[in-house]
Amino acid sequence: MANRSGPQRPNGTAQAKICQFKLVLLGESAVGKSSLVLRFVKGQFHEFQESTIGAAFLTQTVCVDDTTVKFEIWDTAGQERYHSLAPMYYRGAQAAIVVYDVTNQDTFGRAKTWVKELQRQASPNIVIALAGNKADLANKRSVELEEAQAYAEENQLLFMETSAKTAKNVNEVFLAIAKKLPKNDQNVNPSVPVNITAWLTICVLRAGHF
Amino acid sequence: MSSVDITNLVQWKVNPGDTVISCVNASLMQDWLRMTRYLAIVTNGCSAALFVLTSANVPPTSVQEINIERIFPFDLNFKCDLESEAKDDGPDRFVAITYQKLILLFELELGDKSNMFVSELYEATGKVSEERGNEFLEFGWLQKYNPSFRIEQSDEEIEEQDDIIDNPEIPINRESLAKGASLLAMREAAIKFHMSKKEAEYTNTQTFRVFVGTWNVNNHLPTVSLQDWLACDIDPPDIYAVGFQELDLSTVAYVVSDSPREEEWRFQVEQGLHQGAEYKKVALIRLIGMLLIVYVRKEHFNHVKKVHVDSVGTGILSKMGNKGGVSVRMEIHNTSICFVNSHLAAHVVECERRNQDYKDICRRTSFSGFSPPLAIRDHDHIYWLGDLNYRIIPGMDVDVVKDYLARKKFPPILEYDQLNHQKRKGNAFIDFKEGPIDFMPTYKYDVGTDNWDSSGKERAPAWCDRILWKGDSIRQLEYRSHQVYRISDHKPVSAVFLADIKKVDNAKWRKIHEEVMKQLDKLENEFLPQATVDTTEIKFNPVNFLELQTRSLTIANNGQVPIKFKFVKKPKDVNYCKDWLTIDPFTSDINPGETCTIRLEVLVDKKSAYKLNSGQDQLYDILVLHLVGGRDIFITVAGEYERSCFGTSLETLAHIPGPIKEVHAGRLSELERQLRDSSQGLEAVGSYPVPKEVWFLVDHLHRHGMKTNQLFIQSGLTSEIEAIRTWLDCWSLDPMPGSVYSVAEALVLLLESTAEPIIPYECYSKSLEVAHTYQMCKKIVQELPFHKKNVFIYLCLFLRELVSHSDDNKLDVNTLATLFGGIFLRDPPWHKKVSAGKYWVTNQQNTFIRRKATFVSHFLTTDDPTLCQIVSTSGQ
Repeated sequence: MANRSGPQRPNGTAQAKICQFKLVLLGESAVGKSSLVLRFVKGQFHEFQESTIGAAFLTQTVCVDDTTVKFEIWDTAGQERYHSLAPMYYRGAQAAIVVYDVTNQDTFGRAKTWVKELQRQASPNIVIALAGNKADLANKRSVELEEAQAYAEENQLLFMETSAKTAKNVNEVFLAIAKKLPKNDQNVNPSVPVNITAWLTICVLRAGHF
Repeated sequence: MSSVDITNLVQWKVNPGDTVISCVNASLMQDWLRMTRYLAIVTNGCSAALFVLTSANVPPTSVQEINIERIFPFDLNFKCDLESEAKDDGPDRFVAITYQKLILLFELELGDKSNMFVSELYEATGKVSEERGNEFLEFGWLQKYNPSFRIEQSDEEIEEQDDIIDNPEIPINRESLAKGASLLAMREAAIKFHMSKKEAEYTNTQTFRVFVGTWNVNNHLPTVSLQDWLACDIDPPDIYAVGFQELDLSTVAYVVSDSPREEEWRFQVEQGLHQGAEYKKVALIRLIGMLLIVYVRKEHFNHVKKVHVDSVGTGILSKMGNKGGVSVRMEIHNTSICFVNSHLAAHVVECERRNQDYKDICRRTSFSGFSPPLAIRDHDHIYWLGDLNYRIIPGMDVDVVKDYLARKKFPPILEYDQLNHQKRKGNAFIDFKEGPIDFMPTYKYDVGTDNWDSSGKERAPAWCDRILWKGDSIRQLEYRSHQVYRISDHKPVSAVFLADIKKVDNAKWRKIHEEVMKQLDKLENEFLPQATVDTTEIKFNPVNFLELQTRSLTIANNGQVPIKFKFVKKPKDVNYCKDWLTIDPFTSDINPGETCTIRLEVLVDKKSAYKLNSGQDQLYDILVLHLVGGRDIFITVAGEYERSCFGTSLETLAHIPGPIKEVHAGRLSELERQLRDSSQGLEAVGSYPVPKEVWFLVDHLHRHGMKTNQLFIQSGLTSEIEAIRTWLDCWSLDPMPGSVYSVAEALVLLLESTAEPIIPYECYSKSLEVAHTYQMCKKIVQELPFHKKNVFIYLCLFLRELVSHSDDNKLDVNTLATLFGGIFLRDPPWHKKVSAGKYWVTNQQNTFIRRKATFVSHFLTTDDPTLCQIVSTSGQ
């Protein structure tokens, strides 16, 4: 058993901070939002990823310099009929990845409307990344890299072309977001419960009323 | 349940002859899980053991619920460590129980109970170390128990537990979860715990030579070189910790904080350091006569971090600094080191006082700048030096002592050394090690000589000045006194150690840190609530007014943890579903591997029909099924609503010449919209004076039901009402189906399912106010829009006739007025909000009911020939 003061960090660096952020993925259906998350969180890829009906929730941690950034990821349903439910997920989010499919011009248009909606409705400081997914299918490309890049610059978005299939830029886009997020004390929460139920259960157990 | 009860329960559990000394509630921390356990110290004769118990209920209510999980005999294999010291507002304390290779970490609740338990635990285990001389403690009595885990198995078992983090594929058994295991939420604590477990993987060690010296200088000036003391070894040390006592005994020193002596001695020390290396001062701390200076070799200086000092006075009034301790703590690379220089109470008889001083220094030394502040014990390596003042127990005669000393036979005297004695008894310096003493006592000499004190006090020489240490990987090379120094009545003492200092390999650290986090993420995601549903699309058959349809939805918990689901509200919605839908249950818990079937019922009733008819709402909704702490699943509910005269406004019905089923949906919506937009209702032109549906029903009753007993009072049959609805909506050549009771009920339902009641909501309050005056009531009716007025008068006339048959139908004015009062003067929707069930509310409601009845009864009883004219004057 190490002591409390035991070596947790290389000497000379600050204590590790843990920041927790809510991140939401938005975009047209079948552009690969769930695949990006699955690649990022589990390192997996399924050619026939089921359509998300609802909002999937996962957590993943990345280390940026001396800060540990923990993402609470909400992967939303892309189908148009669920559009009105999106605010439930981007409300209070500090970061968003708006995904389109590089082989489908319509999805890029849809991505732009998502960006507009976020700029209008989401938290003013939200960090938005635009991800042109399915970059492995460049031969079927219909959205030019330059076009998306110009749009991203104009709107001050992080931008990358990604491929959940080949893992290209998947970790990178999350890392870029983690780097851009403000790591002030507000978000530093060393003991944020993984989930409130578990936390409550612990409290209840400890209080002895079970 | 108090601890006394638990202790008693456990006492019942143990075999006769065994005694439960103490029992507490604790949490067993296993990797990411925290499980409720009870810890009990049980004794039998001289030997004792720690019992780890589980209980089916928390807290247990009977002996049968308690199960003995493990038993740890307090033998030489047993070790317990307090992880953090309990402070008033400090963190919970952790107790690590080590038995051979098995390590269990328990968290105790804060409070006296736990404090008592810990001191009992220390006492019980302390006895073991006392008994260490006697090889065999008797543990046969433990054989009679049959714990869930035997110690022999424990080695393997711990391997498995340790592997959880390395191999998260090992499922965590559901049983333990169901028994109250839960996710360990404190992520940072978890990371810390796992990083410290893996420390060896990312640290290398470097051996440092540590020189520790102590000297009580008895208020003398530094007139001699200290090289013979500090630099008497060939190899230059890496770290120096040099402590003095009685540096300055002048009374001024008690009052004025700086003393010129400090500077003089510091200078002399620095002159005396080993010439073979360059040194830099890390810290200097002085409290009156106690001075402690720490140096490191220049090349190590940049690796020294987090240097803090503290001093504790235990002298006069337990505060003054003539006695006490000064401490320096630092981290060199990744090992934390604490040096304590103390001067404990003097005199042979003050042994207790010295123990107390020791405890006070331990308790009160606190390095702020850490949260929570660190204590001495919180360090990897601790060196304790100073004039500890422990003497030779008077049991050995002074002359005998001196005789042994003359022959340099130390062991017999050391048998009588108070420090050794107190250590063995567990009164002080319990966990500290000291090397074998093979040097002359350091006190008391006649100054300027090597002769024992000749003051005539006849005191036995003693090893007052000592150096002890605590911590793994420290080896003592030297422990000696320096007899050549004669300026004090004490001789200086020094010790040289080889200490392994941990150096973190940053690259490895980062790699392992990330690995730990990844595995934690993986576990966390695995432990998130997970569920599947058998369908996300609930489709209803065409839905008719008042026709209940049921669908089911099955939610399966396919995750690792119990889940709680609930349907949640969408943004801008008032409820988690539309009012035509009922979800039962809308929230519940499901255990892993189990399912829950939910009933979804669609029922369009008088409240929801209007919106669906008028096209303001659709039979379509997306339900958000939320797993608390996890994902959401969207369930789409859809069906086609069959438009009906029920829930259609009277005006619209009057404007539709044929059955409603033959009217285009757009036309219906259009009429309803026009009606909503105008304040005076729809134009009378081109419409029936009363809706034909009302006429059909009333006419039927008029022809078949006027003499029917309890018409309107006895309820109809749902199936018949449905048939009547179809008849009205589609028309038919067949006679109207159903009994007159059902027809009467259908009439009431038709009037109740409109968006607006016959007397509009805006006239509601006024109508109740004037209910007692017929003329005023009549005026209100006269001012009603055309169709509403007609229906009102038409129905009143019908009711009047009904009353005239009261001999047969047993109806009276009051009954009918009360019933129709509620229909004509329907409570506005906003009124329901105040019905909080309080007495005055009910009372007020009763008043309202009476007034409505009064309002209607005027029209059933007053002989007013002009009443009919109201209708006829506006005829078609």
